[in-house]
Amino acid sequence: MGDYTIYHHIPWGGAYAIYFFTIGIAAALFFFSALSWARAEFEPLRGRAAYASFALLALSGLVLIGDLSQPLRFLNVLNPFYLNFSSPLAWGALNLVSFALVSLAYFWAMRKKRDALARQLSIAGALLALGLPVYTGFDLTVHQNRPVWNTPLMPVLFVALSLVSGAAVATFLAAGQERTLRALRPVMLWSAGAVAVMLVSLMGTTWYGGIGQELTFMILTTGSMSLAFMWLGVILGTGVPIALLLAPVGQKTSGLLVSGVLLLVGGMALRYSILVGGQIVQTYF
Amino acid sequence: MSELRTSAIETRGVPGKKRYAMVIDLRRCIGCDACMVACKAEYDVPLGVFRTWVPYKVVGTYPNVKKQFLPRLCNHCDDPPCVRACPVEATFKVEDGGFVLQRYERCIGCKACMASCPYNARFMLPRHRTYTEITNVVDKCTFCHHRVTQGLAPACVQTCIGRARVFGDINDPRSEVSYLIANFPTQVLRPEEGTKPNVFYIGADRNLTEHGRAIYNPPEVTEQDRKAFGGVSI
Repeated sequence: MGDYTIYHHIPWGGAYAIYFFTIGIAAALFFFSALSWARAEFEPLRGRAAYASFALLALSGLVLIGDLSQPLRFLNVLNPFYLNFSSPLAWGALNLVSFALVSLAYFWAMRKKRDALARQLSIAGALLALGLPVYTGFDLTVHQNRPVWNTPLMPVLFVALSLVSGAAVATFLAAGQERTLRALRPVMLWSAGAVAVMLVSLMGTTWYGGIGQELTFMILTTGSMSLAFMWLGVILGTGVPIALLLAPVGQKTSGLLVSGVLLLVGGMALRYSILVGGQIVQTYF
Repeated sequence: MSELRTSAIETRGVPGKKRYAMVIDLRRCIGCDACMVACKAEYDVPLGVFRTWVPYKVVGTYPNVKKQFLPRLCNHCDDPPCVRACPVEATFKVEDGGFVLQRYERCIGCKACMASCPYNARFMLPRHRTYTEITNVVDKCTFCHHRVTQGLAPACVQTCIGRARVFGDINDPRSEVSYLIANFPTQVLRPEEGTKPNVFYIGADRNLTEHGRAIYNPPEVTEQDRKAFGGVSI
């Protein structure tokens, strides 16, 4: 290598990583708001989480549309005559729009104090919210030529990342509510644990994969992406907060908030490094 | 024996259907880049992007060294991942002929097709162009659909001085491409991806067709070239 004269671009850059991050948090926050109808300890989050979720959903939409080279043509994705259902992006667009509509109706029902309707909408919204990290994972999984992306783990990993980042934001929204914070601790701990287990599995299969996967593993662990993936994502953003949450300090509010910050840093770093890391080797082909 | 088809979109070996393919005989390629120039002229392909390109690698040990060329272009796969990936069917496959083409007016620029292509055959057109109004959408080689449907050879094939590029209908057993594929050992790029590419190479070396390990720690000069082309830092 090194003698080739033409180089190729990374098609999906940092904007997609930001989108994955914000949409994951938006989905999880809606889930916590919906959970508040069944679990009293989450009640303080009901309104705040729903508003924050909608704000992040709007931001995610803007990021996604802004990254298109033809932003105004985003309407094409909503044209039933154009939709290609073999593409996860088409399903994702429908999921996003449905989620936005249900979120709006949920707001309206909450403001009008129509609790029975709000409760039903929360269930529909929570299911649609689950679809958001699932489809973003499928966005990556379906590209068979991309190391790290092309694994069945991706949708599940994105669900866990969504939950862990959303729970981290929820700790800030629930500041001062000891009961809610105590309920969020196991959510953060178990979802971060699930992320850690999946990362070990992902690294193992990438390490022992084909030549493209081996090279990607090297780039992620000791190469140019190691700061984002290994140090910020795996160690500081997943390992350290798990240790903090398991320690006595993790029972305290300060420990929970510090863990939340670290989990957010890790969530962003992991999404970015997995997204970009899976494309580096291909640019040299 | 009939072809094993895993998807309804595949047309290789289907009676009554054309399935155009290209054979590139690397023993005959001299790396003159005339194919790149002809393609640029045919389509007003902007600076910095290519529908076809000819990367090379220096192989051997002094004094026995040589440049090995590997002309590249869209493989017009029989099962193209870009067609699957496009959310709005801006990318589609022409059933009779197998051309994988682009509807420019429909492309939203999500770059999913670029992410899905194992061959880096797709690129984003720049925001401003001098002579052509098509901008800011994804573009690629069309196998010169407009020429082939008029009975002409693609521009790169017509201009190739060494006659390294041969084009024709692989479903026609009397065509030159069918003869070459039947009588010479041929290779395709990244067959493991299941795309069933339709650009065949005679004499492709695996050093050219595989990922090189040097990319983990590329020389500084390579990095400078990459950045000039807008690549990310490794």
